Amino acid sequence: MNLAIAGMGWVTPLGCGVDLVWKRLLGAEEAIAEKLPGPFANRPYLVFRVPDSALSALPTSPRLRRVSAISRFAVAAGLEALKTAGLTIHSNNAQQIALIFAISNGGVVYTRRFYSDIVASGAQAASPLLFPETVFNAPASHLAALLGTTGATYTIVGDGAVGLLAMRMAEDVMKNEELNYCLVVAAEEVDWLLCDAYRQWRLLRSAPPVEPFRVPPRGMILSEGAGAILLGRDGSVKLDQTHPGGDYSKRGAAAEALKVILAELASGDTDLIVCSANGTFVDQAEAQAISQLRLDGTIYTVKPALGESVGASGVWQVMVAAQALRTGELPPLLHGPAQMPFGLERASRVGGGRCALVINCGLNQQVAGLRLANRP
Amino acid sequence: MSTFIASDGKSRPARVAVVAAGVVSPLGLGLAETLEALRSARDCIKPVTRFCVERCRCKTAGQVADEHLDGSRAGRRDQRLHRASQMIIAALGEALKQDRQFRPELTVIGTTSGGMSYGESYYRALDRGGDLRRAPTWIANYPPQKPIIDAQQRFGLSAPCQVIANACASGTNAIGHAFDCVRSGRYQRVLTGGYDALSELVFVGFDSLQAATPEKCRPFDRDRSGMVLGEGAAVLALENLEVARARGAAIFGEIVGYGISTDNFHMTQPDPSGAGARLAMERALRSADIAAEAVDYINAHGTATTFNDAAEGKAISQLFDDVPVSSTKSMMGHSLGAAGAVEAIVCLLALEHQFLPPNINFRAPDEDVDLRIVANESRPASLRTVLSNSFGFGGTNASLLIHRATA
Repeated sequence: MNLAIAGMGWVTPLGCGVDLVWKRLLGAEEAIAEKLPGPFANRPYLVFRVPDSALSALPTSPRLRRVSAISRFAVAAGLEALKTAGLTIHSNNAQQIALIFAISNGGVVYTRRFYSDIVASGAQAASPLLFPETVFNAPASHLAALLGTTGATYTIVGDGAVGLLAMRMAEDVMKNEELNYCLVVAAEEVDWLLCDAYRQWRLLRSAPPVEPFRVPPRGMILSEGAGAILLGRDGSVKLDQTHPGGDYSKRGAAAEALKVILAELASGDTDLIVCSANGTFVDQAEAQAISQLRLDGTIYTVKPALGESVGASGVWQVMVAAQALRTGELPPLLHGPAQMPFGLERASRVGGGRCALVINCGLNQQVAGLRLANRP
Repeated sequence: MSTFIASDGKSRPARVAVVAAGVVSPLGLGLAETLEALRSARDCIKPVTRFCVERCRCKTAGQVADEHLDGSRAGRRDQRLHRASQMIIAALGEALKQDRQFRPELTVIGTTSGGMSYGESYYRALDRGGDLRRAPTWIANYPPQKPIIDAQQRFGLSAPCQVIANACASGTNAIGHAFDCVRSGRYQRVLTGGYDALSELVFVGFDSLQAATPEKCRPFDRDRSGMVLGEGAAVLALENLEVARARGAAIFGEIVGYGISTDNFHMTQPDPSGAGARLAMERALRSADIAAEAVDYINAHGTATTFNDAAEGKAISQLFDDVPVSSTKSMMGHSLGAAGAVEAIVCLLALEHQFLPPNINFRAPDEDVDLRIVANESRPASLRTVLSNSFGFGGTNASLLIHRATA
């Protein structure tokens, strides 16, 4: 059973819409960092944010009135994926569409606000309006309500690898022959608290650029947005193989965990490997795993242009791979080293556009991968 | 809802056995203590000790005794682990003692908040400009997937993890999805379950919604006034029944049906008609290909909130006729992402030992909820098939059907 990509939706710091974002990536554009307001004057955090204008086309719905940014991103991406597939949901097919929502840090803005009220003023100050939005499945719930789906809705949590794990889960769920589609949506929103946490872990860079595969690594820039992929039973870009994923116990073991996945996914006609390299230890782990397996294919990461969107990043990678296979074009790798580590190849075209591997090494011990194929 | 065709395109979907299980909850550590607490209808709700609840309406919860987790702390690294990690380690340890050969190809687990209290510690330290030397530990152990990764590493397991966060239905959704995974033939062995530890943020959140009660938790009672939170962890080792039998594994029970629905009514309230709950139960029955009359007992979601119990009661009474119903949350509180998994184990124990778990603190029936409540005491019963419900924020509904193990 091969599933195929029937539609996609993209909300990023470079704008909203697959065509627009792809065009900007091909044009070597990168998001502009902005300073995030926070409580520490001596700790400014620069992040890539989704511009307000990107969500201007969102439908007005009572359900979206008080929701956090992450839910808006998810809804915008999900609606675009359905639109590009030409799929309308109605009472006859509402239960034939599963929704899988991938998330990492969740509604961190409302969660922080909710808890800060408790810390500042005590439990009696806690807002009953904010609390429901702190729940991991809040965005999925809003999206399901807007779409009117009544079937399976799952929210899956994890680190940056969660988007690819969601694709695998979609394949598991679509074993049920009564389902025609599975909409996989992944989203993330940024907040100063998140930036501070990654800073404590020494993974954050104070200002762009993100320099992938640089030795030593200089850190990442956080970003936000959403990606949506509608999987169906037909389409030209196929979900050729997914890997169930794995985990690593310490950073030094990440390359080995990735090698296991790559070894299973590798095929002779791989033209492209879309990595999750983001300017941290991840880059070396990925480069090492790819080179040790002597895999062919152009190496690419979109994170210098779009930043590290954690929960959304895996689905963004899949979208990049799908677009590259569809168009035969690949955006330039921004800010990469003149000489790639381990003798890896960098280029701006995708060979014959036959097959692409996508791997993600999350920052919190999870790894995952999948293979897309452009097979009529 | 589920129509799986085996990989050869002809044979029937695989049958799914529970070959091992482990649990830690306010009822106790392990299956034996849990069984004893259920049979004796023990009220395990106590004043909250883990954080200050002075300004909360509700001041009680079901809490896992610290001494139940001490055995898991083997070294300095383990002492840094979050309480949720320690709980799932305890539960997994018990399951693996029952079946030392069990090696999952996949783990599907439910949670709602993972290591939330470490996030709280981090925020409080930042807020007061305090000592952040432990910050890297808090941050590393805060993510929701961390406890199951810790637990697997403790026992030398390395199955890929799908961590489901479907609010209060997470545990049941995890078991249901794991069941589907084995049933479809894609996997032979899947580890599943759920975990959640009590945290201030979540406790105050439910208190702010006035969903938590300052009184006793009285599911389905006329005078019910809300829920009481709890915590815990439970795991179930699922395996293709034929494969399990072939290797001589003990069969604890059989998962036979799973239903999931999304009702889209409201973020925090169920559809008052019970339509979402009913749909999940109907889909579970259909998935198992059995009639409602075959169900001998229902372990209800039964949070004791006005709206949940009314909607669930309505759905149950529309579908079933005079089936015994209880909510064991009355004894141990609502452990959110763990609840569905803990309650699945309650169902397995009920099937194995042929009794109805009690719904304690029950005083007067609600005239609007036409149910046969197993009031206040457990009682012997002949059980073959039981149903377990879980419903959560966001209109997510899940139901599982479990059969008694047969020779």
